[in-house]
Amino acid sequence: MAETHNDESGKRHHRDYGIQTPGTKGVPGTKRYAMAIDLRKCIGCMSCVVACKAEFGTPLGVWRTWVKTADKGAYPNTTRVFMPRLCNHCDYPICVRNCPTQATYKHEDGFVLQRYNRCIGCRTCIVACPYNARHLIPLKRTDGNLPTLVVDKCTFCIHRVKKGLLPSCVQTCVGGARIFGDMNDPDSEVAKLLAKEKVTVLKPSLGTEPAVFYIGGDFEIMSENKSYTNRTTQLKEEFNTFKRKHPGDAFGDIVEGESTMYWVKKNMVDFVAEIPHKAGEVGKIIKKLIFG
Amino acid sequence: MDESVIISNAFHHAPWGTPITIYFWLVGASAGSFVISSFGWVFGIKRYKPLALTASFMAIFLLMIVPVLLIWDLGQPWRFFYLMLPGYWHSTAPMSWGSILILSYPVSMMVYCVFVIKGNVTWARATGILAIVLALSTHWYTGVVMELNPGRYINHTALAPLLFLTGAFISGIGGLLLVLWIQNFFLSAEKRISWTLMSEMAQYMMYGIVFDIFLLWLEFMQTLYGNDGEYMGHAEVLMNLFSFPYIWLEMVIGLLIPLLLLVSPIKHNKVVILAASAMVAFGVYGMRIWWVMGGQFIQTFY
Repeated sequence: MAETHNDESGKRHHRDYGIQTPGTKGVPGTKRYAMAIDLRKCIGCMSCVVACKAEFGTPLGVWRTWVKTADKGAYPNTTRVFMPRLCNHCDYPICVRNCPTQATYKHEDGFVLQRYNRCIGCRTCIVACPYNARHLIPLKRTDGNLPTLVVDKCTFCIHRVKKGLLPSCVQTCVGGARIFGDMNDPDSEVAKLLAKEKVTVLKPSLGTEPAVFYIGGDFEIMSENKSYTNRTTQLKEEFNTFKRKHPGDAFGDIVEGESTMYWVKKNMVDFVAEIPHKAGEVGKIIKKLIFG
Repeated sequence: MDESVIISNAFHHAPWGTPITIYFWLVGASAGSFVISSFGWVFGIKRYKPLALTASFMAIFLLMIVPVLLIWDLGQPWRFFYLMLPGYWHSTAPMSWGSILILSYPVSMMVYCVFVIKGNVTWARATGILAIVLALSTHWYTGVVMELNPGRYINHTALAPLLFLTGAFISGIGGLLLVLWIQNFFLSAEKRISWTLMSEMAQYMMYGIVFDIFLLWLEFMQTLYGNDGEYMGHAEVLMNLFSFPYIWLEMVIGLLIPLLLLVSPIKHNKVVILAASAMVAFGVYGMRIWWVMGGQFIQTFY
């Protein structure tokens, strides 16, 4: 069973500040939905990424779930390893305690959720999240009726789970690498797996108590710093190109190898250029309020 | 053992950018300027009374720009008032407190200015004390808002508010000295702020620079000897990609050269004081850049 946040005397160390419900991992009588990802079974087909995109119409350039890929070893003894990533639905989420409008909150069953109607797009939760699991929905989106410029994230497909279905990424996983369920229910598949297998979580020292567990996790691919230092030159260039062609709506991107001050300036120019659009949106709302 | 190479990953944007760096600088310079304004009316140092209003007006003016930046930086600008609505306000979020401070600080300064103009010493002192507390709190908040994120290794330091407040103090004095110099062109000879007084303020700025260098040294050691994330922030972000704002803009232009000028035998020279002031005011912005944008950089690759 995954470790809970209890000391030897059984006293629980609560870190549930703000509007989040208390941590429920391992607490009898409560539900705690969790996901175990068996990396030994992941074949890197990306069908989970596609299923998630299809389920939510997530715009280009942002992801609720994605699969990180690494090559290990030296030719001819090489291995390719994969690591699916998504919101960790922490028991003690930093994003929730930092949200100034209570737009993000923790459901009593463990889901960390986002309320678009409350979100002001300040992106404090993105700054707070240690797992990069949140994103700002871009201004340009295919379906204009869906929200833009609010923060979005994985919901563990609560709309499906509440109907007795599995999250779309779990449902579609061809290798059966993603296992989902209530880890507080000893009869659930996920609880049995967590009891049987050695599992790791991302950044355990931060005290967030993630609810996404990795089986067969590899330090090389799980490390934040190695994600930066061990990139291929091609991946580095791809990210630079991405930043040049798909500027974020947060004005903080810096392209490696180019002048930092140039990008500081360019971000400000982009910020000013976006004001007329936002002003137009404000105008529409005021018009609607006055004239109905 | 052979290390792995990352061949594919999602791309992430840094969530906060240039508008936030400018906001941090503006609030700091405003707070620093207001501290000088309070010397005469709050702390009773009479020779500072003539510049109280100029310093306060500068502080108010700088703070007036802040809402423009912050509101238009929101994804949903028309929802900015949610930050103050009782059903939305979230006591554990630093930004909730920050939004109250940003609103109340300029109001308190304006009230203080009214009593200064009326010459009401008692009320100017009382409202001035309140405004100073709010000025320091507003800028303290800018340090705290990123500090309380344990996943942001460069920002997660208890020195953050002190670094911000010290930067505020020196950039506020630097900016104010430039404003006072310009103002003197438009005033009659008897109303001009004396160079003796401005030179004294420059010396206060020098003490602030020394303290800022001390804090940066502490932070340098912390990141150099720190955990993996802190060290990466030190080696890859501060000393490499953000070396211009960190080393050149902040340390060399903003601190070391002004310090050398202000301890040199020509420290009372007008040109020297003005040059040091401009360099400090500009250099402190370098800290805001590496703090905000550098603090987020590594994680965009995770």
